[in-house]
Amino acid sequence: MTTEPKLDIVSLNIRYGEKAALRNLSLSIPSGSIYAVIGPSGSGKTSLLRSITLLSVELDQARLSGKILLDGRDVLAAGVDRATLRRKVGLVMATPQPLPGSIHHNLTFGPRLAGQTQRQELDALVEAALRSADLWAEVKERLNGPASALSGGQQQRLCIARAIALSPEVILLDEPCSGLDPISTAKIEEMMRALQTRFTWVIVTNNTKQAARVSDRTAFVLSGELIEDGPTSRIFTTPTDPRTTGYVEGRFG
Amino acid sequence: MSARLFTPVRAQLVARAVLWSMMSLALGILALVLWFVLRRGLAHIDWAFVSTAPLDSGRGGGIFPILVGTLEVTLLGVATAAPLGIGTAIYLAEYTKEGRLTRAIRFGSECLAGVPSIIIGLFGFVLFVTTLRLGWSILAGALTLALMTLPLVIRTSEEALKSVPTAYREVALSLGASKWQTMLGVVLPAALPGIFTGLILGLGRAIGETAALIFTAGSSLPHQLPRSLLDGTRTLSIHFYQLAREGISADHAYATAAVLVLAISFINLSSSFAMHRFMRRYG
Repeated sequence: MTTEPKLDIVSLNIRYGEKAALRNLSLSIPSGSIYAVIGPSGSGKTSLLRSITLLSVELDQARLSGKILLDGRDVLAAGVDRATLRRKVGLVMATPQPLPGSIHHNLTFGPRLAGQTQRQELDALVEAALRSADLWAEVKERLNGPASALSGGQQQRLCIARAIALSPEVILLDEPCSGLDPISTAKIEEMMRALQTRFTWVIVTNNTKQAARVSDRTAFVLSGELIEDGPTSRIFTTPTDPRTTGYVEGRFG
Repeated sequence: MSARLFTPVRAQLVARAVLWSMMSLALGILALVLWFVLRRGLAHIDWAFVSTAPLDSGRGGGIFPILVGTLEVTLLGVATAAPLGIGTAIYLAEYTKEGRLTRAIRFGSECLAGVPSIIIGLFGFVLFVTTLRLGWSILAGALTLALMTLPLVIRTSEEALKSVPTAYREVALSLGASKWQTMLGVVLPAALPGIFTGLILGLGRAIGETAALIFTAGSSLPHQLPRSLLDGTRTLSIHFYQLAREGISADHAYATAAVLVLAISFINLSSSFAMHRFMRRYG
């Protein structure tokens, strides 16, 4: 554990006007792992993810202080190019959000803006991303069909494939399975594990069982504060804080 | 007894009957107008009428130069209002925060919408016809129409942009798009059907406009096709007005009105058809 963390969050504060969404939060997310952030809704988990890619700053008028170090470089420093940052750090929303247009268009939207214009390269990229997200077999016949025609679970895997198509280093998932059935959920969890070495995953979830199933490390956040974090097996068996015990045992939240 | 009279089921029946009557009345009025104009006009429309120039102040001949002039004034007017209006709408919806400035812009645009078209016509006369020396011309008329349709285009475009789900913007930004790329690549295409509807409404309003054009496009009868945008023209509705008011030819007046009504119907139908096809492809 002496290697430098992929994502190092140091004393992060997120405020919306007068309201603090996250207070003095510090997390170290190791490279090539699955990191779960659990906690009841309203505890600031989504704000955390939206802040890592500066989306909260751009759209929600959030004010951030502290440090978000990606490979040691502060995302909050002046002069950080947001587009470059977002190509490195993918974000998948809670409800599947395909863009209007075809499956192919959804996958090539990002790469095209990043400067990829060769039709063949794009096609290869589409196939690779869909294979990674375990969706290729289901959609290869209808790549030019509307993405909105896919089922909810397929749409969410499409959204993950869309993030993968940009070859990110980190993928942030915001309760990716909250609206999905158990089978779709299992597919996404399998996929995360299969791709664990390629990306660093951060998954925010309300579902403690999901965190226990997929993640290597877990952080428990309550009302904007980090209660404790550590290896998932320890958090779920011998947590040090009584509030964590209460939450993972399902006594509140 | 009265409590019994209005059971929910009965209230439902009454509501349905009342709403249905209102709908049929509205539709009936439309049908009546169409019938009235077409019954008197259609009989006098033939190929010669729409393809030849007028003779003898409009007693004889056709309306071809007038038809072409009308289309030029209207299309040019809407084509001018479109970029201005859509640009303003994008600015209002995406590039400013709600505040005093946006409220002022919106209020100004509403006021512009409320100005009677004859006043707009007078303004167009002073600005375009005399000050800018465009004379009574297609260009002056089109620019005046642009002013008139601008508020409508701004309003409908802004609504269309606002109805695009926020999630599209979030997704596009998350995929590395800049704000402008998000606008151009995602938001604008999604808003296009709504924007297009606004433009068509503007077109429908502009093509029948009379008062704003008498002072700007002119009302003298053209005997040949306009050769440039600086030529004056008489539009269909002005032609109708002149023929009817001066008692020149009731038959040709109604025939002109019928052509105008048919042209508007054609524009509306074909554009809604085009939009459906677009929607299906874009999905």
